[in-house]
Amino acid sequence: MQQRASNLRRAVVAEVEDMNRLIYHVLRAGVVVSVAILLFGFVLVAFTGRPIPEQSISPRALGRPLFTFTPEGYFSLGVLILIFTPVVRVFLSLVSFVRERDRQYVLMTAIVFANLLVSLFLLA
Amino acid sequence: MSIAVLLILAIAAFLAGLGGSYLGVGGGVFLIPFMTLALSVNIKVAIATSLIGVIATSSGAASVYVRDHLTNLRLAMFLEVATTLGAIAGALVGLGAPDFYLYLVFGVVVLYAATTMVRVRETAKERAYRGGGKESPFTKRLKLSSVYFDQEDQGVYRYRVERPVTGFGVSAAAGLFSGLLGVGGGFIKVPAMNVLMRVPMKAAVATSNFMIGVTAAASAFLYYSRGLVDPGLAAMVIIGVFSGTYLGARLLEHAKSSNVRFAFALFLVILGTAMLARLFFPGVPL
Repeated sequence: MQQRASNLRRAVVAEVEDMNRLIYHVLRAGVVVSVAILLFGFVLVAFTGRPIPEQSISPRALGRPLFTFTPEGYFSLGVLILIFTPVVRVFLSLVSFVRERDRQYVLMTAIVFANLLVSLFLLA
Repeated sequence: MSIAVLLILAIAAFLAGLGGSYLGVGGGVFLIPFMTLALSVNIKVAIATSLIGVIATSSGAASVYVRDHLTNLRLAMFLEVATTLGAIAGALVGLGAPDFYLYLVFGVVVLYAATTMVRVRETAKERAYRGGGKESPFTKRLKLSSVYFDQEDQGVYRYRVERPVTGFGVSAAAGLFSGLLGVGGGFIKVPAMNVLMRVPMKAAVATSNFMIGVTAAASAFLYYSRGLVDPGLAAMVIIGVFSGTYLGARLLEHAKSSNVRFAFALFLVILGTAMLARLFFPGVPL
């Protein structure tokens, strides 16, 4: 029984460790990918001769500008990916708490996630 | 926007990211005045850009702190319930309140936070003491207390989180300021955690850094959808901040906590003074 309990504890700690590393990679990747896309946007500006964009494009209208390699499209994409990174992070925390069967925190994280979604879909 | 303006902004963003990751703030309190005063950017656009800068600071620095177990994930999530609600409310209220009252409250709160931080010195002995305190039942239920590893002296420190309910209320206010003024709210969250809830300085900085990104994202969507985000400006800020946090996070982990605290208190004093000064020099455009 004791052995089982300590094995379980060790497994949980390992899970949490994994989650910390995962969150680290996601956060880091979010910024790195965003920066890479923005730099690509600057490359496009240099190659197409179009000015550095001053108007951002709504996510719904992003298809065409991306397909036709306009700077506006890629700058907007880079910014949007960055804004989304914390949302992904919260979602990962939610999964992590569900795995730990921590009801209180599943509830809290769900509320935070819901707030973000409300901000994204209803109000924006 | 001219190339010169963009490059200057990138450098400013680098400094904001550097200072921000070291202090647990988003750099918005520096970037917004800089953009509006030095670069003549429209205030709402500056707020939108600053929010994005805060997310970049947060993601850049927090990633390192989470990996190195400095961040208190549970405390962060608990407080984020408050800050996200505050942020949405703040962004919606928008220009509702007259600026005068905002700056007054802003300046007073900040100066008060500064004086409390300067008064209490944090040493290794104090950090150890924190582990032996009495835990409030609420803290125990939510498992907020935690442990962190300090590079400064290679020590592992246990600490208890006190006054979680008050901290929650203060975090809601921090969220409100975030949505309203485009800051990360870290300048409220760090003192709230460190002084009020007795979280050791480095853990407070790391946790705050982790939180501000979520807080900013909650209101950033709103600003983006209203077309207030200038991609060129945002790009420079993201790139500049990214480089700054790379350096700042390394500095924090190896710094002496008392130095970090002092730097933070100094930052608050300057900020509070600037805020109040704006009241008496309304001619300064904002």
